[in-house]
Amino acid sequence: MTVEETREPGQPVTPRWPVTVRWPGGSRRPVLGTLAVLGLAGYAWVASGLPPFSGRALAGVLIPGAALGLIGYGRPPDRIPAPDRIGVTGFSYWAICVAALLEWEASAFRDNSRPWHPSLTALIDPLIQPHPVRSVAFLAWLLAGWALIRR
Amino acid sequence: MITRTLTIIGFAALISAMLALEFVARRGSPRIPTAGQWLGYLMRSRAGRAVILLGWWWLGWHYFAR
Repeated sequence: MTVEETREPGQPVTPRWPVTVRWPGGSRRPVLGTLAVLGLAGYAWVASGLPPFSGRALAGVLIPGAALGLIGYGRPPDRIPAPDRIGVTGFSYWAICVAALLEWEASAFRDNSRPWHPSLTALIDPLIQPHPVRSVAFLAWLLAGWALIRR
Repeated sequence: MITRTLTIIGFAALISAMLALEFVARRGSPRIPTAGQWLGYLMRSRAGRAVILLGWWWLGWHYFAR
């Protein structure tokens, strides 16, 4: 069944793909969405400045995780419809890349991430050490979580 | 240090391949799904949803709490 077949007379056609990304709060309420992103940016700035391996840093990632979990299972937002099926060939390209990346990372991890065989974590960590960069990365992580909740 | 360079090239090649896949998928290729599409497909079930969300949370913990 296609979108066209389910459309009521006079109702505009809403294409299922390509998908448009909405900010938290939805594009129907741009002010709320902007405020939500600003709030998340503020949270990201504070949480990314907490000392690593501390209880506060753990709480900094636990709180958004729990919040998104509650939203996702309790009051999920309007979801972007998932495709009924995806092509095996196209998906296999993704699966090969993801599996190879995990294997590459695991092999470096097995070698204790020595300088001659660094893990992705060891390579990324120095890049996100400056606080502004770290907070942007944290915000990207939060927004990625929101995008996942809408799936 | 040549092994370090090779390791970095491996990571860069794999990440570039995934960016290329996303680019081709968004250009309208009917065969290749976007990352959002295949993630959405995997998240149709409750278990798939939980695994993907746990993976997202683990990434945050791994990079920002440690």
